[in-house]
Amino acid sequence: MLPRKRAAGAEAVQTTTESSPKKHCTAVTTGNSRSNDDNNNSIANTEDHIMALGNGNSIDIDEDLHSRQLAVYGRETMRRLFASNVLISGMQGLGAEIAKNLVLAGVKSVTLHDEGAVELWDLSGNFIFSEDDVGKNRALASIQKLQELNNSVVISTLTTELTKEQLSDFQVVVFTDISLERAIEFDDYCHNHQPPISFIKSEVRGLFGSTFCDFGPEFTVFDVDGKDPHTGIIASISNDNPALVTCVDDERLEFQDGDLVVFSEVNGMKELNDGKPRKIKNVRPYSFAIEEDTAKYSAYVKGGIVTQVKQPKVLKFKPLREALKDPGDFLLSDFSKFDRPPLLHLAFQALDKFQSEFGHFPVAGSEDDAQKFISSVTSMNDALSDGRLEAIDQILLRHFASGARAVLNPMAAMFGGIVGQEVVKACSGKFHPLFQFFYFESVESLPAEPLLPSDLKPLNSRYDAQISVFGSKIQKKLEDAKIFVVGSGALGCEFLKNLALMGVSCGKQGKLTITDDDVIEKSNLSRQFLFRDWNIGQAKSKVAASAAALINPSLNIEALQNRAGPETENVFNDEFWENLSVVVNALDNVNARLYIDQRCLYFQKPLLESGTLGAKCNTQMVIPHLTENYGASRDPPEKQAPMCTVHSFPHNIDHCLTWARSEFEGLLEKTPAEVNTYLTNPNEYASAMKKAGDAQARDNLERVLECLDKERCETFQDCINWARLKFEDYFANRVKQLTYTFPEDATTSNGAPFWSAPKRFPRPLQFSVDDPSHLYFIMSGSVLRAETFGIPIPDWVKSPRKLADAANQVIVPDFQPKRGVKIVTDEKASSFSTSSIDDAAVIDELIMKLEERRKLLSPGFRMNSIQFEKDDDTNYHMDLIAGLANMRARNYGIPEVDKLKAKFIAGRIIPAIATSTAMATGLVCLELYKVLDGGHKLQDYRNTFANLALPLFSIAEPVPPKVIKHKDMSWTVWDRWILKDNPTLKELLQWLKNRGLNAYSISHGSCLLYNSIFPKHRERMDKKLVDLVRNVAKAELPPYRQHFDVVVACEDDDDKDVDIPQVSIYFR
Amino acid sequence: MSSPSKRREMDLMKLMMGDYKVEMINDGMQEFYVDFHGPSESPYHGGVWRIRVELPDAYPYKSPSIGFVNKIYHPNVDEMSGSVCLDVINQTWSPMFDLVNVFEVFLPQLLLYPNPSDPLNGEAAALMMRDRAAYEQRVKEYREKYAKPEDIGAAPEENSSDEELSEDESDSSDEQVAGKADP
Repeated sequence: MLPRKRAAGAEAVQTTTESSPKKHCTAVTTGNSRSNDDNNNSIANTEDHIMALGNGNSIDIDEDLHSRQLAVYGRETMRRLFASNVLISGMQGLGAEIAKNLVLAGVKSVTLHDEGAVELWDLSGNFIFSEDDVGKNRALASIQKLQELNNSVVISTLTTELTKEQLSDFQVVVFTDISLERAIEFDDYCHNHQPPISFIKSEVRGLFGSTFCDFGPEFTVFDVDGKDPHTGIIASISNDNPALVTCVDDERLEFQDGDLVVFSEVNGMKELNDGKPRKIKNVRPYSFAIEEDTAKYSAYVKGGIVTQVKQPKVLKFKPLREALKDPGDFLLSDFSKFDRPPLLHLAFQALDKFQSEFGHFPVAGSEDDAQKFISSVTSMNDALSDGRLEAIDQILLRHFASGARAVLNPMAAMFGGIVGQEVVKACSGKFHPLFQFFYFESVESLPAEPLLPSDLKPLNSRYDAQISVFGSKIQKKLEDAKIFVVGSGALGCEFLKNLALMGVSCGKQGKLTITDDDVIEKSNLSRQFLFRDWNIGQAKSKVAASAAALINPSLNIEALQNRAGPETENVFNDEFWENLSVVVNALDNVNARLYIDQRCLYFQKPLLESGTLGAKCNTQMVIPHLTENYGASRDPPEKQAPMCTVHSFPHNIDHCLTWARSEFEGLLEKTPAEVNTYLTNPNEYASAMKKAGDAQARDNLERVLECLDKERCETFQDCINWARLKFEDYFANRVKQLTYTFPEDATTSNGAPFWSAPKRFPRPLQFSVDDPSHLYFIMSGSVLRAETFGIPIPDWVKSPRKLADAANQVIVPDFQPKRGVKIVTDEKASSFSTSSIDDAAVIDELIMKLEERRKLLSPGFRMNSIQFEKDDDTNYHMDLIAGLANMRARNYGIPEVDKLKAKFIAGRIIPAIATSTAMATGLVCLELYKVLDGGHKLQDYRNTFANLALPLFSIAEPVPPKVIKHKDMSWTVWDRWILKDNPTLKELLQWLKNRGLNAYSISHGSCLLYNSIFPKHRERMDKKLVDLVRNVAKAELPPYRQHFDVVVACEDDDDKDVDIPQVSIYFR
Repeated sequence: MSSPSKRREMDLMKLMMGDYKVEMINDGMQEFYVDFHGPSESPYHGGVWRIRVELPDAYPYKSPSIGFVNKIYHPNVDEMSGSVCLDVINQTWSPMFDLVNVFEVFLPQLLLYPNPSDPLNGEAAALMMRDRAAYEQRVKEYREKYAKPEDIGAAPEENSSDEELSEDESDSSDEQVAGKADP
């Protein structure tokens, strides 16, 4: 359900060190390119296109840079983005955040407009400005740093008053600081322009924010949610009116009533295969009805796939002038605040009125200004004819008035993400726009104790805006905080920026530690905005830390390159943890999150957790004793395709790609590595295999022998032979064997057809050099095979004609099916059956053969083991995997995918964009104010789940920890029991017994110290627990360590399990 | 339901209390062997298989992984690696199940009712579909060869009466297929 736990570790990347001789030979001309222009990168394409990839041709999408974003938007949306000109007016904190997100995304041009000069006040919310910029025009001061983010975006400035005619240069205009009067005038112009100009107005005022969108009288959304069309595999269709369609029950249908679907591959009831969209109803988990009389149609036989047709949606936006009076439904974010948006709708209008009347914002802490503001809201409300509010929350309005002048960084980050996404929607029609108002506030972020007006006075510092909202006491707490930021990727970069601007760890006592063991790659640059081209290959945490120190030179930051885990507990030791004020996770995988969660639980530290997946993000606050911990609730594990499906019965491209990856690994990584292990130490290897003596060992030996004997390659032609025979084996022989074993008409024991849905009957491929994808397979296969043998790759591999000639030379033996299933009954015969033969004997024989082969090899001969690297477009890895998967798909009649799509699936690339990341960190930093202030209650905290594509916000209080009661005691996961004086096992058991608890199992880490079922464990009774931990668990207890912890499983006197806290044993 | 950390211990405990022979690997609770007796009324009866159980970090949210250490002839078990097709356990797993369920329900069901329509061992599946008797004969051969109780130090189970019946049945198929042995 949430992205956090699914945003798994696949993004963790490795340093690419090798640059092999193959890099220069990238292309093969096929002469048969497909017409579909979305296939630029497909395996079957022209020389020009393939070459363009390596050269970074600017007309095309830079897929290395944008791969993670492409995975969210697709090529069409990216193209539309690249053609869009955007105006951003108002370059304070919010304008800067929006501009950053759009420059990273890669629009055609961004024009920055601001008439004002940088003030010290701006530095609380704007990451671009430094103190040196004070006095310069805001737009001019922004241009250089934004340009560094992406050279292919044209960035320009406007520094004088805008005229509405100027707006016609843009597809989208965004205003972050504009009077309502001017906004209405501009929006009228945009709304009535031909074609309409998309208009967005957004403001952040203290802890309050608003966004309004008007994309014109008729705006078409091409893709309302960004999801792939849902599909189903049909099991039956009735001859009826309406007709009932039943699908196979291995996956629930995700259709909704009213969806349109098309049918294909239906056997029997062929009338449905006409490609006409049909409306569905009565959707159940495995069935639905179509409103069609199928009574006279042919009877359904078998097969069939049903696919959802995504419908474009037309939205009729109201202009701001009308929408102000008749705002429609507000986008709700927090159900506990359902009554707030109408009030905020008035409050933002009243604020505009206040400014135009008095020429300034209400002064922070001024009771007089607050009263004027409140009475303005009240009179506006009284003037409403309908929709008048019954009560006006004066406290809320007082907060609004007091903080109105401040642009806070967390609010700017959050709204920068939201507005950035709305601009992308306006440019592309991808995802559903905000329709039309969104209001948000986070007054719970204010200190728990009331603020005095004197606390809010400016101190002539860069934090003055923040101080005007939160007071100088909390500013000091922020500056003195000791923070651990775990991870320096997309989230980490955004966090560092936010923390630096907020002044966190910028005081003398403060310290920010960031750690990440990864280095920067090109694909990071589209959202990890602290990194530049020239940082590629450098350590993420180091580069991010230096960039953050430029944003705020007072930041006390230390960058480490340690992966946080059990193996680095000497670095992140007890002292380190005990000194921390708070931990901020910026991780990309669940296991690391769970580990940090356990550490925070142990050291009782607050943990601010967040994650993103495409346009989705979530945040979770883990506060000692107030909330449950991160690991307390989990997503169901990711669905894996069953092994048998992947092996022999794929029915979608994912299955084919999973198979392709595992074949790639076996052929190019594992087998060469196995060969090298053998060659490095033949005797040791042989005896290990003999000792194992099982089928696995035998298989290993067979593969090693094959590589060194029958399939050994010495020339490039050998590699072509190998690739050609692999093609035959994979895509012809294996299919022939499978369909020999299970013919098309095979039935199962109960008479049902064996090849019934979801299984698809495969057909062998006939190799042909005229089929470009066949030839491309031969090319990528032989090139990689040559690499494993260290054979130079000849230039002629680039020539399809020569490659074809070489492939045609290969002698391919005719296929002979293994004579049915091997059925052997008597002992004698069984000695011939490979599967019944004694593995040990075969192993001995294989080792002997291997030894003979080894003597023929030149000494020092080794193979190269190739590790799959998805992000290098010139290494042929993805080419081979896409080739393997697509040829297999062809066997089974499954639609093929292009190389890019294959890369997303096989490389398990996690879709990621700057907007949702920025928003997540903004939301987390709003919580950080609460954590560092201390004294907040559970109901002040908020967890968020959001999906900018819909858009959807779901903000709610965190879940409290589960309370366990036993007799008169109660505890939660945050509690720990402490035993002093170095007890023995028996003493611990007795101590528990006295509390009515019968312990039956005690463990330390994953090691069992005691279990009542093992008689030998009873001998441990009189041993000190510390000795058991040292001797049985082999745990090292360094001199500074006073205690260790054990996990005890126990029952009460009624034999019911009781889940007790961890027990800490003090042994010194 | 208890916290995940303790579920391992509790589940393991219950398994041992249920008279299963459990052999821990390094006193750790991550991996262990369990001896599993073929269910009566199946051709696997009389055989004992050593099952390697691995509890993933996410246990019990994620299912334990189960592998046959000694060979078994079964449509849903890979002959070489001994791994059980995910379908059988992973797809139906829920954190409400525990290890006892695996050994008292899942595995006996798997051996009593192989599912040849989703085979991992295609040969076994095809044989089972075409010639049940020959298939059962083959199962027994494997059982006698690879799953002898004494080989893994397990005490043989008392009753072994219901085996003979099916053995006789399979006679007829012997000749038919003997000629098809590998060339």
